Amino acid sequence: MKLVTSFLVALVLSVIGLVSWELYWRSQGYEATLDDNKHLWAVERAKVEGLSDTDVVITGSSRVLFDIQLDEFEKVTGVRPIQLASAGSSPLPIFHDLVAHTDFTGTIIVGITPPLFYSTTFPGAPPWQRAQARVDHYHKRTYSHRVNHWLSIPLQKNLVMMSGHEEASDENIDLKGLLNRVELPERTGRPQYPPFFEFGTIDLDRNVRMTNRTVTDTAFANVITNAWKFIMTSEGPPPDIKGTTAFFVADAKKFMARGGNLILVRPPSSGMFKEGETKYFPREQLFDELVKSTGAKSYHYEDYDPLKDMVCPEWSHLSAEDADIFTRVLAEELIKDKALINIKQ
Amino acid sequence: MLFNSLSFIVFFAVVLVLYYLKLFSWTNKKRMLLLASYVFYAMWNPPLVILLWISTLIDYTAGKKLAVLQNQRHRKYWLLLSLFVNLGFLAFFKYGNFLMENFVSVLNIVGIEFQARPMDIILPMGISFYTFQTMSYTIDMYKRKIEPARTFLDFALYVTFFPQLVAGPIVRAKELITQFYEEKKATTEQFLWGAFLLTIGLFQKIVLADTLLADTSDTIFGARSMVHSLDAWTGTLAFSGQIFFDFAGYSTCAIGIALMLGIILPDNFRYPYAAIGFSDFWKRWHISLSTWLRDYLYIPLGGNRNGITRMYAALMITMLLGGLWHGAAWTFVVWGALHGLYLVIERLLRNRIKLRVSVLNGMFLALVTYTCVNITWVFFRAREFSTAKNMLASMFGLQNGEKILQSFDIIKVFVVVIIMFICHWLFRNTSLKAVSLKTPPVVLGMVWALLFFLICIAQGSGEQFIYFQF
Repeated sequence: MKLVTSFLVALVLSVIGLVSWELYWRSQGYEATLDDNKHLWAVERAKVEGLSDTDVVITGSSRVLFDIQLDEFEKVTGVRPIQLASAGSSPLPIFHDLVAHTDFTGTIIVGITPPLFYSTTFPGAPPWQRAQARVDHYHKRTYSHRVNHWLSIPLQKNLVMMSGHEEASDENIDLKGLLNRVELPERTGRPQYPPFFEFGTIDLDRNVRMTNRTVTDTAFANVITNAWKFIMTSEGPPPDIKGTTAFFVADAKKFMARGGNLILVRPPSSGMFKEGETKYFPREQLFDELVKSTGAKSYHYEDYDPLKDMVCPEWSHLSAEDADIFTRVLAEELIKDKALINIKQ
Repeated sequence: MLFNSLSFIVFFAVVLVLYYLKLFSWTNKKRMLLLASYVFYAMWNPPLVILLWISTLIDYTAGKKLAVLQNQRHRKYWLLLSLFVNLGFLAFFKYGNFLMENFVSVLNIVGIEFQARPMDIILPMGISFYTFQTMSYTIDMYKRKIEPARTFLDFALYVTFFPQLVAGPIVRAKELITQFYEEKKATTEQFLWGAFLLTIGLFQKIVLADTLLADTSDTIFGARSMVHSLDAWTGTLAFSGQIFFDFAGYSTCAIGIALMLGIILPDNFRYPYAAIGFSDFWKRWHISLSTWLRDYLYIPLGGNRNGITRMYAALMITMLLGGLWHGAAWTFVVWGALHGLYLVIERLLRNRIKLRVSVLNGMFLALVTYTCVNITWVFFRAREFSTAKNMLASMFGLQNGEKILQSFDIIKVFVVVIIMFICHWLFRNTSLKAVSLKTPPVVLGMVWALLFFLICIAQGSGEQFIYFQF
């Protein structure tokens, strides 16, 4: 019965170890949160298959993910949109998937974050790859993936030690995340990515809200802006404005030709982002031209008094409170313009 | 379904409850295990269970016919049918695109312009394992080495038994089918030892392979530029550890899970990186495949019975096909060829140099063997020859490349690999079981708790086992 003793010792020590681990991280201010991973995205993407032409799908980068609040949108329009935007991604692969692999003829709202929208069509580039990986996962996911995801939800929601993030983050407390924090003298001579932390929380239907800390704790917001600064000043390939525009316009025309309703939305930005976007992605030459080329309806935050002076605490996304206002104004404008097809407006 | 997934925890808990409840007879328990095995496989891709059914039906029928038929020609036809179906599955699903690409290349070389669209074929998980397992049954039946399975249920369970279905060990019929004839129930010691093995296997996969080594290996083999010599060695060593912990981890899990059901599966790894020489390596690495290749390929090709030249030819053919078994690419063939070459050179040297192995020179020879094995891993891991060429050039200082790994990544890999090598050396003539028996129960319990704790905090993203693709 030697192994029985070993098993009991292992059981007791494991329980003590894991409970202590959980309590330690909670005492450090960590909270259990859902991860915005490919599995969560795929669940929402699957819903598109059963949508009617009165439904609304949102896609784009993180700005529409943070800035369009699903509850507010539903309150005003009576429709709860499907949120398919993907942080740090070009919207092109996901929009292409919706056009090429569904027969959806409702409304698609595409959020335009210029540096990402016009970034690339190269499959190996991160903004493309990140979104395409989610699309590919959706099409290839197994029943095992689905069950694992559903089983992981209660763990993610209740245990801090199980709420890691799919993408490397400096607040990941899994073993890999902790090891990645070990700093030894730099060897590669390459500039090192500054620390980056999650600044939003996500629900099961992928509604994202900025955390209060990002709004109230300037030092924390500065950590995020430092990361944006690093990205903006790093050497990288120039934007492929011609290629991305052509790719998107082709899909947009195809979507609208089959009766789909396309709406382009440009959410606000602030600080260095706004300066850079105004300088390198001027509205008249890009956004307005895109609207003209596609023939889509469009909403630019600068055109609306309640929105044009909104400030993003970390330059790129709205606080939860402002996101509610942004959504309300946008939804009311959509209703006013009868921009949402097939909905009693 | 993966062992390192939440769905497997639920699945296995249900199987264990149903297995140990006194609700069912042994036959019904076997039916439950069979059904569970199909569910286990179908959770990945349900339609591909049909391939398992076809393989099972054909080989069970062939086995029955081979047992009763006396006419040698008729018996040969039944064997050929079994081989045709199983190898046909492999040829189509695994090698279809590879064969097409090479066919097109040959046509282009002889001046015929032809372009073929790649076929969109899904590679059924574990196809190389279960086809080899069922073929061993019909070949052994043909040679009258074994008795036919008593019932269709026993045979179907032999083909599909979920712990070893998708990545082995490739178990011979006489080792497994006979265990299904009488009711099996793990003793408390067996059950707990099985759980301990499952913990070890998951630790190897989740903590060592996926958390500590995979990223470094992926970064280096995925680099777009030439890498620095130290980076190249680190990446290769990381892969040598990753592939071992990934595959041995799967085998250890499989053995542990089966043992918790009272079924004994054979060892698949015996501390291979402490091997002294390459024939020793193949007695320690993926043992169930190497013995399969020995019994069903090398020996039928003549083995060492027809002179030295034929023996070397048989050895090379076996290793080339062994390489191809791993994947439909020429890089795998080169990997097999290198191992074949090593074996040939070793046999040549053994005839000329008589060496008494001591601890010191043994360790040195094990290190030399491990280094040579690492060179072969470059071809195994590289997707293209150009990557392998660049890696080898960097490893042997033939070019100056970019430093892309951070100091900590290098230290991490070297620490893991050195500990792995020392452990293999210390365990090479013993077994985990023997060592654990000598360990005080409390200490063993503390080690068990540590492994479990590290598995839990590593979380893991449910990465697939590397050998599933083979």
